[in-house]
Amino acid sequence: MQNQIIKNIFTKFQESLNKEQELREEIRIIVREIDQSAKEAAIALQIMHTSIAGISQGCLKAREHFAVCQKGYRKLAEIVPAGQYYRYSDHWHYLTQKLVSLVALTVYLEAGFLVARETVGEVLGLELTQANGFHLELEDYLIGVLQMVTELARFAVNSVTLGDYQRPLMISRFVADINAGYRLLNLKNDGLRKRFDALKYDVKKIEEIVYDVSIRGLVRDAAPPPPAVDAAAADGAEEAKEMKE
Amino acid sequence: ENSVLKAQSPKQKQTTCHICAFFGRRRMSHNNNRRRHNNRGGGGGKHQQAVVVDESNPILMAFQGFARELDDKHDRYERIVKIGRDITIESKRIIFLLHTIDHRKDNAEKVLAEAHQRLQKVCTGSFAEIAKELSGRDQYQYARAFSPGLQEFIEAYTFFEYSTGENLSDWEVVQERLKYNVEEKSIECLVQPIEFMLGIADMTGEVMRRCVNSLGSGDVDGCFNANRFLQTLFTGYIGLGATHNREMSRKMHTLRQSIMKTEAVCYNLKVRGKEAAKWGAEENLFLDKAGDHQANNAADIDEGFFC
Repeated sequence: MQNQIIKNIFTKFQESLNKEQELREEIRIIVREIDQSAKEAAIALQIMHTSIAGISQGCLKAREHFAVCQKGYRKLAEIVPAGQYYRYSDHWHYLTQKLVSLVALTVYLEAGFLVARETVGEVLGLELTQANGFHLELEDYLIGVLQMVTELARFAVNSVTLGDYQRPLMISRFVADINAGYRLLNLKNDGLRKRFDALKYDVKKIEEIVYDVSIRGLVRDAAPPPPAVDAAAADGAEEAKEMKE
Repeated sequence: ENSVLKAQSPKQKQTTCHICAFFGRRRMSHNNNRRRHNNRGGGGGKHQQAVVVDESNPILMAFQGFARELDDKHDRYERIVKIGRDITIESKRIIFLLHTIDHRKDNAEKVLAEAHQRLQKVCTGSFAEIAKELSGRDQYQYARAFSPGLQEFIEAYTFFEYSTGENLSDWEVVQERLKYNVEEKSIECLVQPIEFMLGIADMTGEVMRRCVNSLGSGDVDGCFNANRFLQTLFTGYIGLGATHNREMSRKMHTLRQSIMKTEAVCYNLKVRGKEAAKWGAEENLFLDKAGDHQANNAADIDEGFFC
């Protein structure tokens, strides 16, 4: 009697395992599709490191890919049962973080401000809160924004190379605000904290670029040095730089 | 060697922690301290009191909201972990209580009644509190916070059922017991099938102990029953497909060892009769140095000891 009952428990457990595996398989396929579009969007945005003029075009292209991602997320939302988001969410965490960073980058390049969480949700077709269903998790949003900052640090370097000396200044101000924002959070020792710890390196990198361009007087609205010693100051900076190297 | 250093450095950068990065230390140098700042923000004690923030800055305003949301999440998590620990402790005690059932003292009824009542209390007490915390949320979000407690509870619960001689229930029965009605709303603590199976795997260790104890108290039927029960469970676990759970394979290994112990007990009982087995088992299984001749000697000394 007991034997039969134990056997039944195991059969039932095996069935539940099988069901879960099947669903995970379906999820994996959709996630792979979204990932493909995310990659293409990332490729489209890479233009910003080589051509300032091509940026708006790149953003438009990226937005087309986001639309495809949105469809993918809708499909995901359909197959993930209500109230089981966190059961399967490890399948799309990384992907969502990457997409948040791409969306945030696009919005920054187009308009120059930090994308709101609501906007990311709209672009990707995700709800804002858990109660409404398939949603954008706060941690994913926060990590995505940090990833964007790393990309901006690279952009600051390349924009100088491309002759746009104003941009590092703008980026620096923007990143300083973001940095201040993250300092308001009480972080636990988790993935977000680790990612946040890397932020200071990006901040430092951007500040160095701002230093380099402003000390050489390459920036228009930096505090203008006294006219009389203008040339001397620039020379001095040059020397200092050489000595540093 | 240089290239090795280079290859490692980005990784180190990522895992460098807050405080240590501040002092310019690497993770390697303070492995021992790592736990100390593991739970910052936990317990809710250390939170900053409403930092005054420039209201014209939209980024800061948004982040203030995020901070509240994160704090709520972390605090809730910590609270659930705390309750989960209480459940673990009480379950362990119930299991200990169940082990005091002794064939010779004939105390089974009393012990079972007390265990039943205490199990009931865990259900209506601690688990109800967790269910309240989880109410209206995704059940899987905080499942990890109380999973050790839940497993321990399942272990106690099924061991209780085994002790009473009842049939084993499955996770749906346990799930039913962890459902509550509060303000005309049904709330529950999720019992995942995998957690249930892990709990049962733990329970096998207790059955093994029971088997050895029964031997000590001369309850021969108890030994054979325990052995048969474990064999059935083991057969079931072997038949399972991949569970993708690291704990499971570890527990299977332990289960195998337990089953071999109970089989040795039954073997001794059959070959040498009750008395010899009692001594043989203790020496074979616990001291691990007993030979056959010792066991036979033991049978001689044993006169009158066994009641």
